[in-house]
Amino acid sequence: MIRVAGLSVSYGAVRALRDVSFDVPTGQVTAVIGSNGAGKTTLLRTISGLVRPAAGSIDFDGLELVGLRTEAIARRGIGHVPEGRGVIEEFTVLDNLRLGSLHGRGKLAAGLETQFELFPILASRRKQHAGTLSGGERQMLAMARALIAEPSVLLLDEPSVGLAPIVTRDVMTTIRELCVDRRLTVVLVEQDAMSALQVADRAVVLHVGEVVADAAAEVVRADENLRHYYLGVAT
Amino acid sequence: MDAFLTSRNASDVLHGLVNGMVFGLVALGLVLIWRATRVLNFALGAMATAAAYLGLGLLSYGVGFWWCFLLCIPAGMAIGALTERFLVRPLYGKPEINPIVAMVGLLILIEAVVGSIWGTRQRSVIPPFSYVDWHLGSNPVALSPLAVFQIGCAVVMALAVGALFRFTNLGLQLRAAALAPEVSRLLGVRVSRMLTLGWALATGVAAVACVIVSSGFISGLTPSGMEGPFAAGFIAAAVGGLESPVGALVGGVSLGILEAFVTDYWSPNLVLPVSLLVLVVVLVVRPNGLFGHQRVRRV
Amino acid sequence: MSATKPHTSTEVVDVKGSSGSHSRIGEIASRLASKLSGSRQRHPVLHRLLLTVLVVCLGLVLTGLVSGVTNLDLATGVAMSVAILGLSFLTGFSGQVSLGNGAFFGVGAYVFAIWGNHQSSSIGEDLLVCTAAGAVAGLIVGLPATRLRGPYLAGMTIAVAIAFGSLIDEFSSWTNGDQGLNVQSPVTPPAWLASFIGEPTSSLRATFMWRADITIVVAGITFFLMANLFRSRKGRAMRLMRENEVAAELVGVSLPGARVSAFVVSAALAGLGGGLTTLVSTAVYGSTFTLGLSIEMLTLLVIGGIGTLSGSLIAGLLYAYSITWISSLVSGLGLTSSSNLGSQMNNIIFGAVLIITVLVAPLGIAGTTQFVISRRLARRRTERLDKAG
Repeated sequence: MIRVAGLSVSYGAVRALRDVSFDVPTGQVTAVIGSNGAGKTTLLRTISGLVRPAAGSIDFDGLELVGLRTEAIARRGIGHVPEGRGVIEEFTVLDNLRLGSLHGRGKLAAGLETQFELFPILASRRKQHAGTLSGGERQMLAMARALIAEPSVLLLDEPSVGLAPIVTRDVMTTIRELCVDRRLTVVLVEQDAMSALQVADRAVVLHVGEVVADAAAEVVRADENLRHYYLGVAT
Repeated sequence: MDAFLTSRNASDVLHGLVNGMVFGLVALGLVLIWRATRVLNFALGAMATAAAYLGLGLLSYGVGFWWCFLLCIPAGMAIGALTERFLVRPLYGKPEINPIVAMVGLLILIEAVVGSIWGTRQRSVIPPFSYVDWHLGSNPVALSPLAVFQIGCAVVMALAVGALFRFTNLGLQLRAAALAPEVSRLLGVRVSRMLTLGWALATGVAAVACVIVSSGFISGLTPSGMEGPFAAGFIAAAVGGLESPVGALVGGVSLGILEAFVTDYWSPNLVLPVSLLVLVVVLVVRPNGLFGHQRVRRV
Repeated sequence: MSATKPHTSTEVVDVKGSSGSHSRIGEIASRLASKLSGSRQRHPVLHRLLLTVLVVCLGLVLTGLVSGVTNLDLATGVAMSVAILGLSFLTGFSGQVSLGNGAFFGVGAYVFAIWGNHQSSSIGEDLLVCTAAGAVAGLIVGLPATRLRGPYLAGMTIAVAIAFGSLIDEFSSWTNGDQGLNVQSPVTPPAWLASFIGEPTSSLRATFMWRADITIVVAGITFFLMANLFRSRKGRAMRLMRENEVAAELVGVSLPGARVSAFVVSAALAGLGGGLTTLVSTAVYGSTFTLGLSIEMLTLLVIGGIGTLSGSLIAGLLYAYSITWISSLVSGLGLTSSSNLGSQMNNIIFGAVLIITVLVAPLGIAGTTQFVISRRLARRRTERLDKAG
């Protein structure tokens, strides 16, 4: 389980996160939603160690993550698919996956087989440069690259961006299946709140850097006020 | 065939090849460093010289040539790693003039320190190869065992570096750290260590270039001996675009051969102006070099 | 004013008493300082003018007191500081790193000599012409350079610096190549100056004093004009270019235009500096204007402080005096100048100082001082506000 307590992050004079606290239960999908600028991406980047918080702690099964280097956090089994996917365009699909498996658990050959089974389109494009892939294919590559390391936690930053609704639905379904099949702990940051809530077990709503709701996903889904004020969804 | 090999043009090409490989190695080093840390290492020639002095300095203690030569490489790698760790790393994120001036300062300092320890008189470096050109019949071909040794060293270094990058996991990480440092960190790559390694490799390669330049009977090792090759390597790398290792090697060799022709058909004095003219013309037409590309500007 | 722990009641009284008289002087001083800064804000140009006149007068007095050789060094340093001031503007405001301004310096030096030799013209005319020549050279280089960034710009300016040497050889009918060019009618001091210091007009002391005086006055005018440019709205908008080009564009700075103008201005100043140097030394030698000179200008500027005025002056003086200081250091350490260590000491110190400056005080001497002072002023201001509130 990941326990976030009292997390505060500032970029210069701007407070991106104020005293954020919530739990991420193991083996479940926790959606982190809220409008633009709410601090969702900052939250993920802080968990991954790319951003140093001014205050607070992040406990991962007894290990304190704050203060650790990003590389070390990644090696502990916390995978992170960043905003924009971060596929290395100059590398082939295969090389991207190779890179992902270097510091993870498991062997490359077995990992490749698993990921190609999960995402058959990657198999057919394995020798192509990642720069030639479509948005949806890149999303799959980014996820496969994170999954090939066999992480115990997966942080996903806005996987639906730039994707058609059908593709988004596929991505979300895949996320749900992965979570259930592999007991993966997923933190899903999304702009598209409703899609995220469909596949989530719990939901944390951020607004201007503060937690305004932390409850089961159905509860948040049903709450009209929340949806209207913080999620920009018409009632 | 015989006539061709002993012809004037073939001689020029062969002469230019040795220099060109040196320029190519220097250019390769510059490109490696640029891709890793976005710093133009003006001191690369001097760092290579220091490594060569450290290795070849043992010659005067009776150590064999091959051992001295091989020692230059780890010496260069150490110098490169230390420079990145203590001089360049503190300057990440600062305005770009800082590393430029720091490297110029390092250049001046290293040449002066080397000069104060070993003196500025040329030291001869005699490898166990004859410098006498081979002959086809009674005509000389512009190739000697020494030249083959020099070209061979350069080719071996270039291939080794290429193989490292292409076929090994370490090479994959090095490339990833240069292309996408943040994403690489998220995948567990120790990016700062990769950057240091990049500098180490580049300096090791340049050290070999320095040994090649200094070995022979006319040339020798001097503190400022790498200044010319550095300038040519820089021109080659800048023309190629600083992003392509292969472009750097090809550019260096081409420049070396071009220089040989200019020296032969016109005059040695015109070598530098011609090279500079090539640089200026290329930059005016392609401001990021022939194969370079501009990074996206972000507010 | 930190609190002290009183041991006895009498000591407490003493502490209060002494701090009482201290605070009255402090009050007067701070009131004076705030009045001064207030009027400085209202009439900045006037303040700058007065400050410039003051400094120039001090300089003129100084030249009257020292020997001819010292005046020669002083004038050389001041002339170089004018050239470096241009580089300070180019790098500090438009963010373009040039390793070729030594070439513009050389252009000014040669044009001053050639124009003066072939025309019967006044000093003022000669100086204007060499400045203009520098500006034209800056335009020629600045136009293609505007599209280049970082290492490519550095590469082109290096090419310019090196090519200048070849140009000198190429046009040796004008420049006399390596043998150098002499100023045919060197500047001589007027009678009134010579009698003022009680020497004949042909004396070294009078000659160099006069030349130093000219240099100081011209430099004073230049620094004054540049100071106004630095602080003007246009100057400050340009400064944005150094940090963030996109932001500068948003503010309305035309990037290519500003970059070229910066080159022209810096080359004009370098040309003026070159002309002044020729005026002082009455000869131009091609071997002076190497790539090394351009590098030296930039690195001295870094030590002095990029983007500052006083930093340029410091850099110029370092140029004139560093060799003398270091050689006295060398002999002081008991080394001979021909020994390995002794001959390299100049560069060892120079390289080490550069590296230390970049790592520890990248703003240079002047920049760091200004930074520290402004921080202390800001802190005192907030303290005063806290006390008032």
